[in-house]
This record gives sequence, structure tokens and C-alpha cells, in this order.
Amino acid sequence: MPDTLSTSNADHSGEEQKYHAFINLALVLAAITGIELVLVYLPINGTFIFATLVSLSLFKFFSVIAWFMHLLYDKLILTLAFVTGLAIASGTVVALMFIMDRGFVDFEAISAF
Amino acid sequence: MSDDAHNNDSHHNLMVDNKKLFMWLFLGSDCMFFGTMISTHLIYRKLYPESFDPTSLFSLELTSFSTFILLMSSFLMALAVSAMHKSDIKSFRRNTLGVIFFGLIFLACQVYEFTEFVHEGLTLKSGTFGSTFFMLTGTHGVHVAIGLFWLTCMYFYSFTGKMDPHESAIDVEVAGLYWHFVDIVWIIIFTVIYLIEFIK
Repeated sequence: MPDTLSTSNADHSGEEQKYHAFINLALVLAAITGIELVLVYLPINGTFIFATLVSLSLFKFFSVIAWFMHLLYDKLILTLAFVTGLAIASGTVVALMFIMDRGFVDFEAISAF
Repeated sequence: MSDDAHNNDSHHNLMVDNKKLFMWLFLGSDCMFFGTMISTHLIYRKLYPESFDPTSLFSLELTSFSTFILLMSSFLMALAVSAMHKSDIKSFRRNTLGVIFFGLIFLACQVYEFTEFVHEGLTLKSGTFGSTFFMLTGTHGVHVAIGLFWLTCMYFYSFTGKMDPHESAIDVEVAGLYWHFVDIVWIIIFTVIYLIEFIK
């Protein structure tokens, strides 16, 4: 019985820690969304804004996966299951963006249809 | 081996609950689904940049508000899952109701946005921008609607008395994973489809 109690207490203390992590993350995500909105209106270098937006977006993306989706606390196989799909998807996006360049596309052939 | 032991093994073949593993695999495949739609939109924007200027149509304030709402719903979903792990069914109901409420606000914003766009002449048939934009955001909206239906069923099921906190924790977690996924897809859509258009 004491063992069960201590395990239960440990579980609850773990959930309590996660609760604080969730609140902190929610505040950070809300702040980042506000920063993104302001950033696009600033009269600064477009490439810098683009890089910052992509970085902030990726930070939000992976933070939600790691903390809210519990991947940080879960088994490695779940990470592998998801990352495989994500890697194929991102690879496809990057490859298509390179292949479908204006220089490589025959616009006359497209407009013939 | 008894039936109970056999059933238990079939749920944890890889030391991970099968429902959870399958949900992660499904989410991985859904990444590819959204990946192709995002690339289609980007490719057409790249090939025909002069075809349409969405900056006069997009309301970044409204979309940022939608993004904030969806992020907060994700936060409440994480709390709902945590409550279920603590067997606190009342907290689970409270947080799930919050997620449903926020999800409905998000969908209402999307319906309002789509209606405005159609009034301004941007439709599925008006060109490549309209086709790829509505396909992508519409498919995401359908995902949100499915998630809302799932969570609403779960919310009402919790009142039947058949929901055992210990056994149902994994079901809530799986529903939560789906909801968070809808959120992360929107994070990408918000940046790639909306914000980047405003960079000068």
C-alpha cells in the first residue's frame, strides 16, 4: 500500500510539473503569434523577416509536438513513427519547390491545355 | 496464457499502446497529405506570382486571432489529457468544453473569412490561387470539424458513467494528439499562406 501511494504521489507531482510547463508554453506561443503579426509590418529587410518567421513557426511547431503532444515524455518509437512521415512530407515540399522553378517549366505547353 | 493476458499483450506489442502508435502513424501520413497541398499552393504562387494579390483581401488581425484561439485550445486539450491521467473527470469535462468552444470560434472565423472572400470574388473556380487556397484551408477546416465532433462525443460520453478514467485516459490522449496535430498544421499554414504574403 505505501508503494502504491508513493507511485500515485509521484505521478501527480509529474502531472503538476507538466501543468506548469503547459502554462509557460501557452504564454510563449501566444507571445510569438503577437510578434509574428507585428514583424510583417516592420520596414526592415524582407529576407530577415522571412527567416525569422520561418524560425518562429518551426519553434512553435516543434514545441507543441514536444510538450503538448507529450513526445518528449513518450517512447522513441512514437517519435520515429511521426518523424518518418514528417521527413517524407518536408522532403517532398523542398524537392517540388526546386523542381518547379520558372526556368524549368514549359509555360507554352501548359497553356496549350 | 489467459485471455486477459493475451488482450493486454495485443495492446502493448511494442511497449506502447497500439491506439497511440497508430495515431502517430496516421499523423505522419497526414503530414504527407498536407505537405502535398502546401507545395501545390506554393508552386502556383511561384509560377504565377502576378495572378492574384491576396494582401488586399487577407485580414491578418483576424487570422492571428484564429491562430491564438487554436493555440489556446491546444493548451486546454493538454490540460484535459493531464486531468484524465489524474482521474479528475470534472476537470477533464471543463477543459474539453473549453476546447470545443475555442474550436467553434475558430470555425466561425473561417466561415466568416471564406464568406468575405467569396463576396470579393475569390472562389474555388476563380483561378489557381483560389483553388489551392480553398482546398488547403478547407481541408484543414474539415479536420477541425472532425476533431470537434470527436471531442463532443467524448464529452457527452463522460456523463454516461461508462467512462473509466484509468481505461479511457488513452482514448482521450489519442483524441488530444489529433487535436494538437490540427493546431500544428495551422501554425504552418498561418506562416506559409498568410504571413509570407505580407513581406515586402
